[in-house]
This record gives sequence, C-alpha cells and structure tokens, in this order.
Amino acid sequence: MMNDVRNNVVGGLLLFFALACAPALVGERYLLNEMIVFLIWASVAVQWNVLTGHAGVFSLGQMLLFAIGAYTVAMTNTYLGISPWFAMPIGATVAALAAVLIGLACLRLAAAYVALLTFAISYMVYVLIITETECFTTVGGGCQRFFGGTSGFSRIDDLGFRKLLRGDWIVGNYYMILGIFALSFLASIIVIHGRLGLAFRALADSPVYAAARGLDRTKFRIVAFVFSAFFTGLTGAAYAAHFRTAGPSLFDFSTLLFILAMVIVGGLRSTWGPVVGAALMMGMVEIAKDMGEIRNTMIGLVIVLFVVLMPDGIAGLSRRVVSRFRKTNDAKEAS
Amino acid sequence: MEAIFQIIVSGLTLGAMYALGSVGLALTYGTMRMFNMAHGVFMAIGAYGAFFAADVLGLPILLALLGGIVLGGVVGALLHLLVVRFMLDTKDFEINILVATAGVGILLQDLLLKLFGAYPFRQPVQIEGTVELGGVVIPVQSLAILFVGFTLISAIAWGLTRTSFGLSIRATAMNRDAARLMGVNATATYLQVLIIAGMLAGAAGVMISSISTLSPDMGTNPAIRAFVICVVAGLGSVGGAGITALALGLIEAAVQYYIGARFGLPLMLALVVIVLVRRPAGLFGREEVVRS
Repeated sequence: MMNDVRNNVVGGLLLFFALACAPALVGERYLLNEMIVFLIWASVAVQWNVLTGHAGVFSLGQMLLFAIGAYTVAMTNTYLGISPWFAMPIGATVAALAAVLIGLACLRLAAAYVALLTFAISYMVYVLIITETECFTTVGGGCQRFFGGTSGFSRIDDLGFRKLLRGDWIVGNYYMILGIFALSFLASIIVIHGRLGLAFRALADSPVYAAARGLDRTKFRIVAFVFSAFFTGLTGAAYAAHFRTAGPSLFDFSTLLFILAMVIVGGLRSTWGPVVGAALMMGMVEIAKDMGEIRNTMIGLVIVLFVVLMPDGIAGLSRRVVSRFRKTNDAKEAS
Repeated sequence: MEAIFQIIVSGLTLGAMYALGSVGLALTYGTMRMFNMAHGVFMAIGAYGAFFAADVLGLPILLALLGGIVLGGVVGALLHLLVVRFMLDTKDFEINILVATAGVGILLQDLLLKLFGAYPFRQPVQIEGTVELGGVVIPVQSLAILFVGFTLISAIAWGLTRTSFGLSIRATAMNRDAARLMGVNATATYLQVLIIAGMLAGAAGVMISSISTLSPDMGTNPAIRAFVICVVAGLGSVGGAGITALALGLIEAAVQYYIGARFGLPLMLALVVIVLVRRPAGLFGREEVVRS
C-alpha cells in the first residue's frame, strides 16, 4: 500500500513539474488561460471522483460547493475588502461546513435519493440567488444585490500579479492555480491509496459487512463529503480569484455535466482518470468550438456513449489492456 | 374566504400539473429502478410538439395536444431502444442510468435549441377566457389543466389496476425474475413503461407551457419539482406521487399567496429535506432491507 502511494505521488510530482514548465513554452495568453481552466475543472473532477468513485456517494451538488467557495471570495472582497488570498481558505472552509449540513441531510438516503437531493439543494440556492430583487448597496451607481442577483459579482481585487509581473500577470495566476490543483490531487492520492480510501471503498461495496467489521458509516460518509467539499470549494475560490468574477452561471447544468463527463470518460474509481478525462474533454470542446455551437450536444453524446459502451472509462480500458498484456507475457514465460 | 378559494383553485391546478409530471417518473423508477434525468426535456419536447402541430401545421388544439403527447411517447420509446436496453442488468445500473439520461437530456435540449431557437414562444394549445365561480375569477385554462390531468391520471390508474397490461407492469416492479418465469416479457414491459412516462411528460409539458411560455429549458423547473415529489412520496410509489403532487401544489399556492412567489420552491425543498431526514424512504415508500 505504501508503494502505491509513493508511485502515484512521484507520478503526480512529475506531472506538476511538466505543468510548471508550461509557461516557459506557451507564450500565448489564450492557451495559458485554457490551461488554467483545465486545472480548475480537473481539480473539481478529481474531488468528485473521490466522493462518487471511491466513497460511492453520487452527489450532483459539487458545483454548489464550488460556487460557495467562489461566492465567499467575491462577497468578502466586495463587502469587507478582504484580499482574495485570505478569502480562499475561508471559502474552502465555508464549503466544508456546508458539506457537513448536506452530508447530514443525505446520511440515511440510498444512492438515487442522494443524487436528487443534492441536485435539488443546489437548484434551490440558484433560484434564491437569481430571484433576489432588493439592492444591498449601490456600487458605481449600479444596484448590488447581497448575493449578486442575476449579474453576480465582478471587479474582485486581483491577486497582485498585475503590479508585480505587469504583462505576464497571468503566469502568476497560473502558478497559483497549479498550486491549488497540486494540493487537491496530492490530497486525493493520499486519501484514495490510504486507510481512508480503503474504508470508503469497503463501505461502498458492502455497507453491512464493513459496519460489522467496525467501520462507522456515518463518520466516513461525512468525512468523504467534507474532504471533497473543502478542495472543491478551494478550487471555486481560486476560480473567483483568477477570473475576478462569480455569478449564477456557475450553477449551469451544462457545466455540471461537462465535469461529470470528465469523471466518466476518465473512469470512476481510478486515481488518474479524472485528470486524463479533463484533458480529453477540454481538447474535445476546443475542437467543437471550430464546428459551431455543438458543445452541449457533444458533451451529451460523450456521456451516453461512455456510460453505455465503456462504463469504467479510459482507466478501466487501460486496466484491461495491462492485465491482458501481463497474461500473454506470463503465458510466454511459462511455455 | 375568497382568498382561500383562490388558493385552492390555483393549488389544484399546480397540483394537477405536478401530478402529470411526476407520476411517469415514479412509474419508471418503480418498475425498473431507473430515474430519468431527461424527464424535464421530455416535457419541453411535448410542448414544442404541440406548438409545432398547432402553429406550423395548423391542426386544431385537441389534435395538437394529442400530437404533443404522442411525441413524448415516441421519445420515451427511442430512449429505451437506443440507450436503456443496453444498460439493463449492468453493474451500478441505478447510478449509470442517472448519468446516461442526464447526457440524453442535455443532448435533446441542445437539439430543441437548434430547431426552435431560444425565443419564448407562446403556446397556442390553450383555451382563453375566464369564468366566474363563487366570486372568484378563474381562467378557463386552469379548468382545462385540471380536466386533462384528472383524465390522464385516472386512465393510468385504471390501466395499472384493472388491465392485464397493468398487471404485468406491477408484477415486474414487484419481482422481475418471478414475473419472467410467469411469462411476462420484461423487456417489452420496460418499453411500454417508458412510452407511458414519455406521454405523461409530453402532456405535462403542453399544460405547463400553456400558462407560461415555451423555451428549451422550460422543463428544468417542473422536472425538479417532479423529482422532489417522487422523493417525498418515496421513489417508485405511483399513487403516493399523485397525492404528494396535489398536496405540494396546494402548499405552494398558499406560500406564494402569503409569503411571496420567490419562496415557493425553496420552502418546498426545505420540506423535502425535513421529510427525508425523518423518513429516508419517503412518506409512502417502504424502508428497504439492506442486503449485501
């Protein structure tokens, strides 16, 4: 088991190193921005995989937790003038607290109910945000609603890289986001290949047997919710800090499905699947941009095709290829 | 007194629409443990079908309504033949089908957007005018919604309880293997269930669009209500879904009247959370014995 953690961590560090070299090779700001978007969604997909793939809790509320992180940064900055740097860990903590509540509400529910309840809760928050009408303050002559209403928050203070790096400010943001992604991915590796992941999978595979062996289902379920919510919220906070906006578009169903597609394409229950899936989906959407407005059609199609034909995703496929390769090798050695 | 009468009328209208939207969903889950995330888009497809039949083909509204319902059934059949059929009996079916139907939903919604654009058309399939009943002015369309909802749901209830076709659905829902051994064709039953659910969703879509407007994402809000209703009733409980729909329609009408329209849905959802925390299998659902 320790070997497992070490191999994956080494692999992760190699990936981070390669990604850290990117700004030296990629000059275009557009491409660098796309890589930032990739890192953000990859981090959310990784955390979703921990919760759904390993702990077996199918939540559709991940974008709510992401939005909580983003809104915390936006609101503390707009109303209290708190720097986004300080607000990011606060956002992650608020998301984790929200996850305790959601987790408690979902505690005794079966799989399909959890999905529907988390979906309904995030839709409820979305409706409350966009139907807000009273102005809280006026900013620049415009009406600023407490939760931003339909227009959300903009003009969040930047991270200070514009002053420091001038034209290359985006490189500074890139490293900040890369750092968040690295934290989120390393944490997921340690959880998945550690005792916690073992407990998650045991409870997901056979709740009764796992409970009989002394695993506390309530405790581990809440832990899974809170763990993935903390890093999802942190990523959301980083999103708000980079784009300097947060708004109700974060709740878009198409965004939720875009990230779900990353997890499904990469493969649930894997470690690296969501990262690979995120890269593939980002590439696919990039190609789709040149072919007109077919982004959502392609997302839908990819999800259906993968669920029907390859429910284990690319990670499952590679596992099968590797095991077949090993078998033929063993056969050769035997003969 | 008039206020209460008003609330009852609008509550029953809401309830009838919710019932149309949720009974099909409950039926599919009850029979095949499949929760259809594309249900809201099915509603939108029914609504656009009726709109197309009335506005472009110029059919009378009764035929157009029928067209919307039939189109909903066709989409349900296609969903079974192209996707669900291949996933039955697979591992983690309950979760995978949620994901797959969510994919189908976004695909179809995008298709509607491409075909009709985002312009909020007015639904031509509706009856205009108002009637006065006991000092309260009621739109005729509300009565039409009540009538359509009541007729269709009674027809479903009759079909499920009184015909051999309904018997095979209920038998499959209870115990698929036993039903198969008794000569019930489970695959055909699933196809029929999805067609019925699609037709009910189509009818719900036409009714919902008649009191608001058409848009490709018009099904999202009613579908979430339908999810909520099914969850509160206990997934798969068809009768429970109908009763819960009416009750929640009345509660929502009262909340909208006394507290404000903005809080109708959020309070409904808060209620759901409370119900689920107290009774995890819903009001009408049976606690399942977890076996491993």
